[in-house]
Amino acid sequence: MTAPAAERTLTLNEIGPAKRGSRPDEVVVAVSPAFADPFTKTIVDVPHAEVIRQILAGIEEQGVTARMVKVWDTADLAAVAHIGARLSGSGISIGLLSRGTTMIHQRDLARLSNLELFPQSPLLDAEVFRRIGSNAAQYAKGESPAPVPTRNDQMARPRWQAKAALLHLKEFECIVAGRKPVEVEPVISRR
Amino acid sequence: MTGGAGGDGLLVVGVDIGNSTTEACVATVGERGTDYLGTALTRTTGVKGTPDNTEGAVAAVRRAFDDARRARPGLGSAPHVVLLNEATPVISGLAMETISETIITESTMIGHNPTTPGGSGIGVGTTVAIDALSGARGPTIVVVPPGRDFDDVAAEINDATDRGVEVVAAVLAHDDAVLVVNRLHAAIPVVDEVGAVEKVPLGMDAAVEVADPGRTVRTLSDSYGLASVFGLDPDQTRQVSPVARALTGNRSAVVVRTPSGDVTDRRIPVGTLTLAGAGKTLHVDVDAGAEEIMTTLARVQPLQDATGEGGTHVGGMLAQIRDTMTDVTGRPASEIRIRDVLAVDTVVPSEVQGGLAGEVSPERAVALAAMVRTSRSRMQVVADRVAHELGCRSEIGGVEGEMAVRGALTTPGTAVPIAVLDLGGGSTDAALLDRDGACSAVHVAGAGELVTKLISSELGLDDRDVAESVKRHPLARVESFFHVRHEDGTVQFFADPLPPHVFARVVVMTPDGPAPVPTRRSVEHVRAVRREAKRKVFAVNALRALRQVAPGGSLRLLDFVVLLGGSALDFEVPDLIADVLAPHGVVCGTGNVHGTEGPRNAVASGLVDAWARR
Amino acid sequence: MTATQPRSSRRTEILESRPVNLDGFVEEWPEKGLVAMESDFDPAPGVRVEDGRIVELDGRARADFDFMDTYIADHAIDAEAAEAANAVPSVEIARMLVDPRAGRDEVVAIGRALTPAKILDVVKLMNVVEIMMAMQKMRARRTPANQAHSTSAKDNPIQVAADAAEGALRGFAELETTLGVVRYAPLLAIALQVGGQAGRGGVLTQCALEEATELELGMRGITAYAETISVYGTESVFVDGDDTPWSKAFLASAYASRGIKMRFTSGTGSEVQMGNAEGRSMLYLEIRCILMARGAGVQGLQNGSISCIGVPGAVPGGIRAVAAENLIASWMDLECASGNDQSFSHSPMRRTSRLLPQLLPGTDFVCSGYSAVPNPDNMFAGSNLDVEDYDDWNTMQRDLQVDGGLRHVRDSEILQVREKAARALQAVFAELDLTPISDQEVEAAVYAHGSEDYPDRDVLEDIKAAQSVMDRGITGLDLVKALERGGFHDVAENLLNVLRQRVSGDLLQTSAILTGDFVPLSAINDANDYGGPGSGYRLEGERWEQLKKLRHVTSAENPETEVS
Repeated sequence: MTAPAAERTLTLNEIGPAKRGSRPDEVVVAVSPAFADPFTKTIVDVPHAEVIRQILAGIEEQGVTARMVKVWDTADLAAVAHIGARLSGSGISIGLLSRGTTMIHQRDLARLSNLELFPQSPLLDAEVFRRIGSNAAQYAKGESPAPVPTRNDQMARPRWQAKAALLHLKEFECIVAGRKPVEVEPVISRR
Repeated sequence: MTGGAGGDGLLVVGVDIGNSTTEACVATVGERGTDYLGTALTRTTGVKGTPDNTEGAVAAVRRAFDDARRARPGLGSAPHVVLLNEATPVISGLAMETISETIITESTMIGHNPTTPGGSGIGVGTTVAIDALSGARGPTIVVVPPGRDFDDVAAEINDATDRGVEVVAAVLAHDDAVLVVNRLHAAIPVVDEVGAVEKVPLGMDAAVEVADPGRTVRTLSDSYGLASVFGLDPDQTRQVSPVARALTGNRSAVVVRTPSGDVTDRRIPVGTLTLAGAGKTLHVDVDAGAEEIMTTLARVQPLQDATGEGGTHVGGMLAQIRDTMTDVTGRPASEIRIRDVLAVDTVVPSEVQGGLAGEVSPERAVALAAMVRTSRSRMQVVADRVAHELGCRSEIGGVEGEMAVRGALTTPGTAVPIAVLDLGGGSTDAALLDRDGACSAVHVAGAGELVTKLISSELGLDDRDVAESVKRHPLARVESFFHVRHEDGTVQFFADPLPPHVFARVVVMTPDGPAPVPTRRSVEHVRAVRREAKRKVFAVNALRALRQVAPGGSLRLLDFVVLLGGSALDFEVPDLIADVLAPHGVVCGTGNVHGTEGPRNAVASGLVDAWARR
Repeated sequence: MTATQPRSSRRTEILESRPVNLDGFVEEWPEKGLVAMESDFDPAPGVRVEDGRIVELDGRARADFDFMDTYIADHAIDAEAAEAANAVPSVEIARMLVDPRAGRDEVVAIGRALTPAKILDVVKLMNVVEIMMAMQKMRARRTPANQAHSTSAKDNPIQVAADAAEGALRGFAELETTLGVVRYAPLLAIALQVGGQAGRGGVLTQCALEEATELELGMRGITAYAETISVYGTESVFVDGDDTPWSKAFLASAYASRGIKMRFTSGTGSEVQMGNAEGRSMLYLEIRCILMARGAGVQGLQNGSISCIGVPGAVPGGIRAVAAENLIASWMDLECASGNDQSFSHSPMRRTSRLLPQLLPGTDFVCSGYSAVPNPDNMFAGSNLDVEDYDDWNTMQRDLQVDGGLRHVRDSEILQVREKAARALQAVFAELDLTPISDQEVEAAVYAHGSEDYPDRDVLEDIKAAQSVMDRGITGLDLVKALERGGFHDVAENLLNVLRQRVSGDLLQTSAILTGDFVPLSAINDANDYGGPGSGYRLEGERWEQLKKLRHVTSAENPETEVS
């Protein structure tokens, strides 16, 4: 039926230093240093290509535009998302870590605050990423979307806590201290 | 201090047990007059007029002593007497029933309003499943089931078009319309989020219309438009006119022409309400609406009982109310007599039967509040228990309405003859004290609770607490983290950012800060619903109640009307009532008992006052 | 798809479907600190003292100390004895820990002078059985005990009270609650206190919250102790939380000034979980936490990885390291509340094996805590054990003749205390004009299992009531008065007796709990006197008779009936 998502790959082509956007109808998608390279999928093996494809689709369906930014000097989700929000013409951003943890942020909020947070990366699938994109776009339009329901699983700890720590450490390895955020063009191709 | 017999007179406490709150007032009564020392308000425990009230009454007395800076009863001081109100001998109940419904047969129409349809214009053709696209002939409308990726759908449609298939429109299960249209070589109208897309009849003539943003469909919502699209004769056109009507106001629509497909706007036979008065008994169809019911009621006054036709909705409504009353009064349902009803027209968003995408249609409904009289004996039980708990005398000090008038008279600027309107939770009460000291009182069904229910159902909130909050507080919209726009258009700025969960939302401005209202409706819509609900209940009931106590039923003969009760604290109800009374030349305002208590504590104070006069 | 997959045996399929394979396991990465306790990147032990002051610690000169080093060097290590103690070969010290003939005091004294790397060097020599042997001797209190969580997924105070009462009756010495909606805290703290005292007089309660509110509830006497004051093993993690060892020590002294028992919380894995392990092993960093706690002068520590258990649990030897961290807390003469308090594994067998190193030797609190509510109601994100494990626990105690602090209680007694707790709370709420509790809610509490068995509360009214508890300045004494007025004289008396302890200060002693007669049992008057077979705490006499009882035991006298 539908082509398995695993057949798609994601490349982030660097365009140049990330600049503050001026369009009020854009959402910035900010990703962490290891996103798409060297990592290619989330903690539960959702390919990064599919994560980005669904988030961008959610934004596009709402008639809003998206820009992607790669953040190099931190792998802290709140920092990644907040950097994105400050670059965003609408002030709305989606921050993403390689393992899948996601946050919707707004530039006037304190860094440690957020509009919506999805801390349990093992529970995020393609459908949730689509809804995250859709909600971020609706915030950008000044609408009031119902928050994407967050899920919870007490047994996520024994299964995923250590892998999450490992992925976190690996992501830290990819930090380039002092390097400014870069605007990237996502290229999704079918293998 | 003991026995309440201090040097400054006897300690007397008045306690008013209401539907939702219990109020107490403590005073010393001596030869030099009455000194009001303190007041208190607690939540009523149990149903008003039942022995469960004791706990709340005792708590209110204790707190009133705290407020008066006196040691609590039992801990060094005791009141001389505690006076309870003869509770308004009415209990009220509520019920609501929808009286219209929309039914779609043979999946003939998709009239829901997805937030983001794709493309624009109208496409007319034959419905074909996406997997059968290769064999399609002539103008084709593609139907896409769930589980299909938007990239794949767009690619398959493009392939088909390249092969010469004339695809004119699409109907999708997922929220993918814009995505698909953006990927097509040629734009077509697309309607999405059709949950039950598998029920769309295939191989049938159909039309899909999408309007530009901010506009509504023009062709499918017009009977002659439908006739042109499907080539209908006058008879057939007459038949499809409900379809056109149902689609009015939507940005997108799908109509499928099936052999006997139809959309009907049907009146639900709700049943007949029988109103029995002293002299005559009249019947009224509930689906005739509130106005007809209230007119009929006026013709049988005073009402002796109301019954509903067995096996009908109205029968069920009244049975439901009677059951509640049975629980409260402990009397069998057969002995319960309904002494007043208030019918209100309302609108309930309901899911359309036979709809394919969770279509919602605003259906008409009638809400009924009803009231019965209760026996007076149980308040004596409360008095006995209060006496036991506090170790002092306790008695029933007077009838509520009469006491309320006495309390209201302590409002600065009032004089006899004076009328009070007590706007409570379950009933609206009026009482009149004339120059001769004679007092008359009436109770009519419907008050704050009914307002909450109307707000809840009209906005589809399904949450009593949220509805209550919408009723009590003004609205605003959070426009940024640093400012809100109030419902009156004024803007308020904040130095500290507002919490994220209210961002971009319609909120109620509670004393604890803005709280979100879970609705997609605008501030203006929510405000209109709120004000209309209050008007339909309180403005209507103010006139009904006051007419019954006014000399000769003439409102002109009333001089002063004082509003009391919890709803008199509402930020707009007093104005709504003043507006309807103004044409009759009545001075109407909110009570201010003792000049300090506002519309609260009137009955409790009146009890003390009446006792002092004895 | 199936064509490309190699065929596997039916046995492999069966093994693949076993719950243990739902758990996550990872390789070690010592450079980043993802390693339990055996790492080439931990410093070598070493200490240099000049003028009674430690000037070099584990290879780092004072000029290069981070604030943890400074705090530990200045407050946690006996500088006078340090050079001599650290010169003793690690294997000698490890043998002292295990050898019954080396007295506890002697081992504690030498431990007080060791550096973090030296302590690590010692425990690295010990296998898990030796760690248990040492724990048996080094535990501060002679009598082992247990702690429970009593929470509610709906923050329902009646549920918290009823389950607290049942937990207290079953034997927990301490009860802990926390919230889904934080503003509910005062009501749940009251519910836990009232329910606990209705179940068994003298049980101690606490409410885990942000530090300021937790302290305020303690100072008002609504709670009896505090535990969730977290400390970390690296400076960077401390700084991330806007804290320092000194700020934590200040908070500790605030509790002590009011005679309130408190302990810190730490555990292996937290630093690496946050990506700030500075290349040290989990256990090395935990040893720094333990020494920091001792330096701050608090009487005890909750450790055993706690909420990060998934991290040590996933690396080789991780559960051995967790057993070692509990041992070191006890060795440093601190009360040890030894974990087993978080959902740990999908495998019941693995949950048990994780528990044995604490259950078999006994610790001050074997679990910190055991879920006294069904795990879905556990607002600490689930525990290693919950109410559904009660009978298994009791059976393990009976099989192995060890005391894990619980006992089997007959259903009739349980129903009775649950009702009493709910009624007492109903009376307290009424006396204090808080949201009323209906008779249906009391009835539900008697027979309930989890929060779904209770009628829903009016949340808005409850939150208003909770706020009014704070605004009106309600204290523990108000609860006593309300209980007395409400006709619960014995519960009032119990609570008053607990409150009195803060005047005498007896609960500030290491490992203090209260018996049913309100006698404080601590390392002072119930010091661990283990000295080999036949000594120390033995499960015998009346207590052993209690623990022989289970739900179903066939009577020897009349095999056609059961005793219980």
